[in-house]
Amino acid sequence: MVTYIVRRLFTAVLILLGASFLVYQLTALSGDPLADLRTSNQPNKEELIQQRIELLDLNVPAPIRYFHWLGGAAKCVVPFVGQCDLGFSITGQPVTEALGRAMGMTILLVSSAAILAVLIGVSLGIVTALRQYSTLDYGVTFMAFLFFSLPVFWVAVLLKEYVAIGFNNFLREPQIPLSTIIIISVVSAVIWFICARGTVPVRLKAAGVGFVLAGGVLWLLSATSWLSSPGLGLPVIAVTGAGIAFGATLLTAGLKNRRALYSSLTMVAVGIVVYFPIQPLLAQATGLMVFLLAVATILVGLGVGYVMGGYDRRQNMSAAVITSFLTAGLVLLDRYMQAWPAYFNNNRVNGRPIATIGAETPNLEGDFWVHGLDTFTHLLLPTIALLLISLASYSRYSRSSMLEIMNMDYIRTARAKGLGERTVVMRHAFRNALIPIATIVAYDIGGLIGGAVITERVFAFAGMGQLFIQALEHVDPNPVMGVFLVTGILALVFNLIADLVYSALDPRVRVKA
Amino acid sequence: MRFGRTSKAIGVAAVAAMALSACASTGGGNTASEGAGDTAATGGTISVAETNAFSSFNSDTAAGNVDINGKIAYMTRGGFYHIDNELNVVRNEEFGTYEKLSDDPLVVKYTVNEGVQWSDGNAVDAADLLLNWVAESGYANDATVDPETGEVTEGTSYFDYAGDTSGLGLTEIPEIGDDGRSITLTYSKPYADWEIVFGGLNDGGVGMPAHVIAEKAGLADEQALIDLIQGLERGDAASPADPNAELQGVADVYNTGFDTKSLPGDESLYLSSGPFVVDSITPDQSITLVRNESYDWGPTPNVNEITVRFIGAAPDQVQALENGEVDIIAPQPSADTVELLESIEGVTVEVDDQLAYDHIDLNYTGVFEDENVREAFMKAVPRQTIVDRIVKPLKEDAKPLDSQFFVPAQEAYETSAASNGSEAYQEADIEAAKELLNGETPEVRIMYNKDNPNRVDAFALIQESAEQAGFEIVDGGLGASDWGAALGTGTYDASIYGWINSGVGVSGVPQIFRTDSGSNYNGFSDPEADKLMDELMVTTDAAAQDEIITKIDKLVWDSFYGLPLFQSVGLDAYNSERVEGVVYQPNQTGVFWNFWDWKVKGE
Repeated sequence: MVTYIVRRLFTAVLILLGASFLVYQLTALSGDPLADLRTSNQPNKEELIQQRIELLDLNVPAPIRYFHWLGGAAKCVVPFVGQCDLGFSITGQPVTEALGRAMGMTILLVSSAAILAVLIGVSLGIVTALRQYSTLDYGVTFMAFLFFSLPVFWVAVLLKEYVAIGFNNFLREPQIPLSTIIIISVVSAVIWFICARGTVPVRLKAAGVGFVLAGGVLWLLSATSWLSSPGLGLPVIAVTGAGIAFGATLLTAGLKNRRALYSSLTMVAVGIVVYFPIQPLLAQATGLMVFLLAVATILVGLGVGYVMGGYDRRQNMSAAVITSFLTAGLVLLDRYMQAWPAYFNNNRVNGRPIATIGAETPNLEGDFWVHGLDTFTHLLLPTIALLLISLASYSRYSRSSMLEIMNMDYIRTARAKGLGERTVVMRHAFRNALIPIATIVAYDIGGLIGGAVITERVFAFAGMGQLFIQALEHVDPNPVMGVFLVTGILALVFNLIADLVYSALDPRVRVKA
Repeated sequence: MRFGRTSKAIGVAAVAAMALSACASTGGGNTASEGAGDTAATGGTISVAETNAFSSFNSDTAAGNVDINGKIAYMTRGGFYHIDNELNVVRNEEFGTYEKLSDDPLVVKYTVNEGVQWSDGNAVDAADLLLNWVAESGYANDATVDPETGEVTEGTSYFDYAGDTSGLGLTEIPEIGDDGRSITLTYSKPYADWEIVFGGLNDGGVGMPAHVIAEKAGLADEQALIDLIQGLERGDAASPADPNAELQGVADVYNTGFDTKSLPGDESLYLSSGPFVVDSITPDQSITLVRNESYDWGPTPNVNEITVRFIGAAPDQVQALENGEVDIIAPQPSADTVELLESIEGVTVEVDDQLAYDHIDLNYTGVFEDENVREAFMKAVPRQTIVDRIVKPLKEDAKPLDSQFFVPAQEAYETSAASNGSEAYQEADIEAAKELLNGETPEVRIMYNKDNPNRVDAFALIQESAEQAGFEIVDGGLGASDWGAALGTGTYDASIYGWINSGVGVSGVPQIFRTDSGSNYNGFSDPEADKLMDELMVTTDAAAQDEIITKIDKLVWDSFYGLPLFQSVGLDAYNSERVEGVVYQPNQTGVFWNFWDWKVKGE
């Protein structure tokens, strides 16, 4: 095992060296860094050209310049000796500094999109696999391929036009017109019809429910001006929490396991009880405090599940933890909503909350919640754009993986020995279906840090992709190499991790040293 | 000791409560979330979109010479003058004065008014002017640069000044006067652009604070820096002196000490002597300027705060404007962008000429050695059609540019255009061209940037028209990264590309038109024009300068040099429901030129 890893790492270094040489040459040869000055008619043109030649060492041939760069970069891997030196960009900024900042921005941009894409994509894949060739399956497949084939810059422009500019205009007078309510209700009815299972009359009934539900909710939102001063309130948290408790129990333990259900419901009750006492504390929240509260929530969930006892404490505990976590999430969401009017009326926001560019409103003054909302309104559009295009691959992979598993002999055996459908699906099929997904996720994380070039550009996000593309435009190899180093190393490392994870998850695959 | 379950639980709860309250925010709960700062009450804030990201507080160095750095300097520095939207030099006598004491030798005295100070309270004085002078004059530089490799072979080049040193390079070490508030520059010969060579807002005002640079360079105080500069010998590349370590230290601070993308912890690195001072920076995203409280030497801005946000692509700037995230934008102009902007309600769009212009130059060698062929080719260029096709979609009233030296925004344009003979080349005159060619079919290779759609269109139109006249046109278009290097290599007969008119000042003239000059790519050489240009460079009177250039203009047209085609179009747009006072400006400062007039309506 160790020999295998060492061997992989050794080849990785060789690959990196070769690839970095190639990338450096390609960047250096990709254009003429003096182009703008050559065509200039400024009186001091010659001096400007000399200055730039000196700045970028242009009189040294690119292959030799590469070794200069390599010499600096090598210092990064020698511990305790000197400092990391990846050179300077054309504007005199150290590349290490630029990289650090760009990575932070990229991680901020892609992480929520990545997590959501995995969660939603995998669940969609599993559900469509379980209901293969149903209207739902076809519908999801159609949508997945549709989104997958949309160019992201176009999606981004549409999102900005309708979700940002249009929605912000709407928020000036947040009254939903009747025609809109009817249209959305019809759409909801169609979705309910597609998702429902059973004979046509049953599904039509579901469609009716969907129509009434959507229409009612929209009417309520409009009538109570909910969009200007949103909030959940205790009743909504209680009802939704109970729903979550049943759902979590259903998935983790099955409703027959009464103790698991009671643990979950207890957690919802705890959430409701602490709702009021915790508000003054939340008013002074910081990121660390919210994190500690989340940890506390999980611990309490574990405790309640344990105390509830029964034949399988683990099931109680996982049901309770999921429920408590989600219920706490509702309380948090409610607190964010309470901060909405303050954010909305902030003089930097001026009643146009959904942003089309950047990661934050410059100089926004406000507490933890206002800043949280600001991050949310800025990340909303890029996250949707990224989510839509990456959803497809996850849902397709997990669908095919699940289908393959469901046809396995051991699934038939499990059914034959009388296990319930929930146990078969959740325990025997779902877990095994995740194995290939795990490797894909590992690859993708490596790729994600490299930045979403187009998305970053369209939303004016100063991340890795932006750094890369701007340096390339100026024929400035140092930042390009910085980005390449980070993405290259991550790609190789995550490739290795993916292989190791596969062998750890699937006993049939063993790494031979 | 044993604890009961209850006491354990109470203990855990107490510890948890303490931990949570320890990490609570210090702000008093909800009060912070009201958010409306008191800045809003008295002038409001304006947000502007810019293409490039801020990278240095010193916009005068090679690395810091990015348009946005210059714009930030424009708002945070005091200066003796600025350039207005009609390309006039407007003095700011509240900041200081400059006067020409004598014509020959040319002596100019710069005096900073009493009470003008940096935002740390230190006076703006002769030391700052002197430091600015030593950097911009290249006085001590004695480097010899190998023209092949660009490497310094001998001597030292101290300050990485990105501007032209040829003007201030004529001056001797300035005298300090008026209690250390003035410097007097004596030129070794008259210099045409003396008025715009020093201390203007467009070139970073009075530049960097001397007391800060002195401190960072390890000098004892500001006086030590003055002594250092006044003790310098003029650099002589022929016999370089030993490097001056102290001056090198000062130059190092000047060259790189102010390069930063984020707000430095050390406030002295971003001192202001102008209306605004930098308040905060989010790297690569935005920079915010707030009022400089002590400022009262010049136009006072109406707004309290200006935020510049960095947005690369034009369509994204347009949508940000539409969504109210920015109030003023100045994106790359294109017909689509203009159309998009005009469809937005409450947005005022300003489309006007830029100082850049496209032109076609004919080489004075090869097929164009014969004057008749040059004239015939010029007759065959359909200038009006080119303007109609390329510029009209953006700017309704666009006309061909009729002078090689002036743009219509300048007063002298009318006279020069009327007398230089340009009226003969408004539209293609195929018959006249045919007549001049007399049945010959010269082969002409035209070089242009084929990645620039405007140039491709211009080429296609010229090709079509010239072939009718009997020319055989060869497409010599090169890619974006190659065409610049091909200029002046003699591998083509005609070239279509762009120059940038400086708008003010005349030192750009000889750069293009003097015999063997750096940007003279087509081999134009006229002894009379050379003489006029020599005269021009020592003429200090603006009206006399215009007269001389008008003469040169005529000479250039008469020698069938080539043709100016059209001026590029610039664009800005602003949310006129919210702000007013925004006025288009054709030069590099762009829309920022009158930022003090910007006003938020209702504030």
